[in-house]
Amino acid sequence: MTAWDDLLGTALVGTGRRPFDLGDSAIEGAARVTADSPEAGVLAAAALAAGYRRAGWTPRIWRGTPAPPAAPDERPECTPAAAQILELLLTRSIRLEVGTELLTLDWLRAARRAGRRPPHRLLPELLRFGTTAAATRALVKDVAGPRGAWLAGHNPSWSWAVTVPPGEVAGRFATGTRAERLALLADLRSAEPDRARELVEETWTTEPAATRAGFLDTLRTGLSGRDEPLLERALDDRAATVRAAAAALLDHLPASSRAGRMAERAQRLRRDDGSFDLPGEPDESARRDGVTDHREPGLGRGASRLIQILAATPLSTCDSGVAASIETADRDVVLGWTKAALHQRDPAWLAALARHQPTPELIAALTPEAATEILAGQGKLDARFGGLLAAAPGPWPAGFSLDIVGRLRAGKAEAVLRLAARALAEHLHPRALAVVEDWLLALGTGHQATSRTLRGIAHALTIRATILQEFT
Amino acid sequence: MGSRWTVPRVLALAPDAGSAKAARGLAGPRTWSELGSTESLVWGKCQGSARAPYQVTVDLTEPAFRCTCPSRKSPCKHGLALLLMWAAGDGSVADLEDAAPFAADWAAHRTTRTAPAKADPAAQAKRVAERESLMSAGVDDFELWLHDLVRQGLATARRQPAGFWETAAARLVDAQLPGLADRVRAAGADIHARADWAPHLLGELGRWYLAIRAWRHRSELDAAAMGDLRTVLGWPRRRDEIGDRVSDRWWVVGLSLEEDERLLSQRTWLYGERTGETVVLLDFAAAGQALKVAHVLGSVVDGEVARYPGGSPRRALLTGDEHKVTPGSGLPHATDVRTALGQAARWLAGNPWLRRIPLALAGMTVVPGDPPLLADPGGAALTLAPGTDLWQLLALSGGQPVPVFGEWIDERLHPLSVQVDDRLVAL
Repeated sequence: MTAWDDLLGTALVGTGRRPFDLGDSAIEGAARVTADSPEAGVLAAAALAAGYRRAGWTPRIWRGTPAPPAAPDERPECTPAAAQILELLLTRSIRLEVGTELLTLDWLRAARRAGRRPPHRLLPELLRFGTTAAATRALVKDVAGPRGAWLAGHNPSWSWAVTVPPGEVAGRFATGTRAERLALLADLRSAEPDRARELVEETWTTEPAATRAGFLDTLRTGLSGRDEPLLERALDDRAATVRAAAAALLDHLPASSRAGRMAERAQRLRRDDGSFDLPGEPDESARRDGVTDHREPGLGRGASRLIQILAATPLSTCDSGVAASIETADRDVVLGWTKAALHQRDPAWLAALARHQPTPELIAALTPEAATEILAGQGKLDARFGGLLAAAPGPWPAGFSLDIVGRLRAGKAEAVLRLAARALAEHLHPRALAVVEDWLLALGTGHQATSRTLRGIAHALTIRATILQEFT
Repeated sequence: MGSRWTVPRVLALAPDAGSAKAARGLAGPRTWSELGSTESLVWGKCQGSARAPYQVTVDLTEPAFRCTCPSRKSPCKHGLALLLMWAAGDGSVADLEDAAPFAADWAAHRTTRTAPAKADPAAQAKRVAERESLMSAGVDDFELWLHDLVRQGLATARRQPAGFWETAAARLVDAQLPGLADRVRAAGADIHARADWAPHLLGELGRWYLAIRAWRHRSELDAAAMGDLRTVLGWPRRRDEIGDRVSDRWWVVGLSLEEDERLLSQRTWLYGERTGETVVLLDFAAAGQALKVAHVLGSVVDGEVARYPGGSPRRALLTGDEHKVTPGSGLPHATDVRTALGQAARWLAGNPWLRRIPLALAGMTVVPGDPPLLADPGGAALTLAPGTDLWQLLALSGGQPVPVFGEWIDERLHPLSVQVDDRLVAL
């Protein structure tokens, strides 16, 4: 027992229970100090020993092997001003009526385009951002770069940002939990889609149904004709969820043989005048291809089946002119074509359908030019218009941006303004800032909500302009 | 400033009973802002019925009052209320180095007008004697408290409620020993926060007791030891008491900012290129107020500092206005852990109460774990303080050994800056 341990023992129980004599203690230097009570003795001994202990403190020796360092990042760091904006956005130090997330995304996209990286010190905040905003992860991971992927490897809640080395993929896929395997597939799918599908095929027959369905969902990224054999095979799966997942993916492959079979079914129903007969009970092969008894709201069984068939039929097989046929077609047929156009991403059909009857879904699937052109032609500035404007993809051309702000202001369409505030902040051309500010200045009292929204939009436009400037 | 005034002494200044009553009603921090005091001035802004808050300043030496309110009474209720809050000593009126501009301007104006109001040496000596006797009584009282604690044992002390430590700290504040009070409060918190609470507390008791014994022998202490003792007790120096100047190229190697509900404090660590000396600048501001503009981490300030009496590393003030500032290139004096701790031991030999020990460490590897460590190339490792942003440290290092500057407090490292390439980055 050292002199210190002895002293500590006495101090813990107290001199009331255990005597202490400074002169008898082995504390260095005790002989030169006087103490006229056991308490004073303990305190004086503590004073001496504490000095020795702190001054003579020896570090512990760490004998581990350091983890391998992060791979070098060749991208130059962004400008200090750009870094400052990102920091303010990530820490939510700037408050924006329209939220900071879309500006953060603007920043990340601009950085990716310019091939520059954020300062390393902001990586933890950036990974936290990606953890909360799951939809942004691919972009965050790109911008965070090798240092971010390395850092994420140290924190389980950032595992989504870890890049698994190619050599380890198969091993981890074999031993991981379901969530880890799904994350691994999602990751691999964006880089090497065929390799990911091959992994799925290797263990396909031994996986439980829920896992098979989950694996199929990961194929949505990078889907191509090469995935067709697996999907075709999955149409015969024991589990209904797997069959449905396979059919849903095949809807996106208009060149597949299932699409061909659907086209034949549609052809058989087609009358000479271009309208369609309603199909009867689906036969076994139609059921295999995913025609179900699902009912569209407000429509009968037959109409619902027709919609399913048309939605899976390649639009290229529709030989009549696009626009003409839409004008005269029945409601169920238009609905089927709309679904097909959304699945097949056919720009001509999407534009024609949107012109015929715009919905937020259709508008969102168009190019910014096509979407804004259709919106410019809409007469009424009502709530429906607000929904369409909110769905329109960006960036909006300068002409449309100036025009839409002018129209909203002239039409006093403050409800539309608020409905579409996020989209305006996100997509308006930088030149629209002046007209937004004009409106804000001209606004009388009693329009607090509107002026808050306008200020939020103006603020967002200013920050976005700064971001762009810092990355040129 | 001698001893803090008592409430009756303040109320005795009231011109009538109504003012005293009104002052008591106003003496709460709710309507006040920018409260502060120095050795000779107490000031604050009080939101009255007018749009702009009244600026209230009291010169304690006479005392003399100034308030921007329209009242013709002197002192008005605002001045009295301000003194009442200050006399309460509950910390709502922060102890500061420099007066707020409105208070300082008035004081300066008064000095020129009432010149040559040279501080009366006799009165000043009397005030110091008053403070010393109050402190001596507080030290005696604290010694009894320590004796009780040791008689009953540290294990018993650990079962005491938070109020046990808080009461002891409040009595130390009353006895003008705020430095000890802070350490007693911290010890009360550490007793439940640290696994090694018992040896840590025993070490603290030893250091407090050393301060008691040193205070009794203060007439035998040299200037440096007296300076360190005053720091641990919390008896600040007046600015005109510091004069030990040294010029150098000062590298700004670490910044740390601490904020509690009433005070914002900033420490700036400087390393002198020529002298090899490390000094620290301290700046305070009342909560909600702006600090003096911080020095830029990683820059080099060419200039003269005036050092406070005490052992190294010493507190200092930058003197003069115009300093040439150039960019530096990281940590000029980083060493391995053993060398840095050797330096720490030499400093501790001079100042046994030294608590924040600056360490400049080279080639440190961040080792995540529980607790996380920083290890030098030889494996000598320091435990990182809880609350360290490990992720940021890892992100900056990228797994490579990096130079780190930090404060070593109670055997744990609080990193303040990391050198990345040739630049220092704050944590």
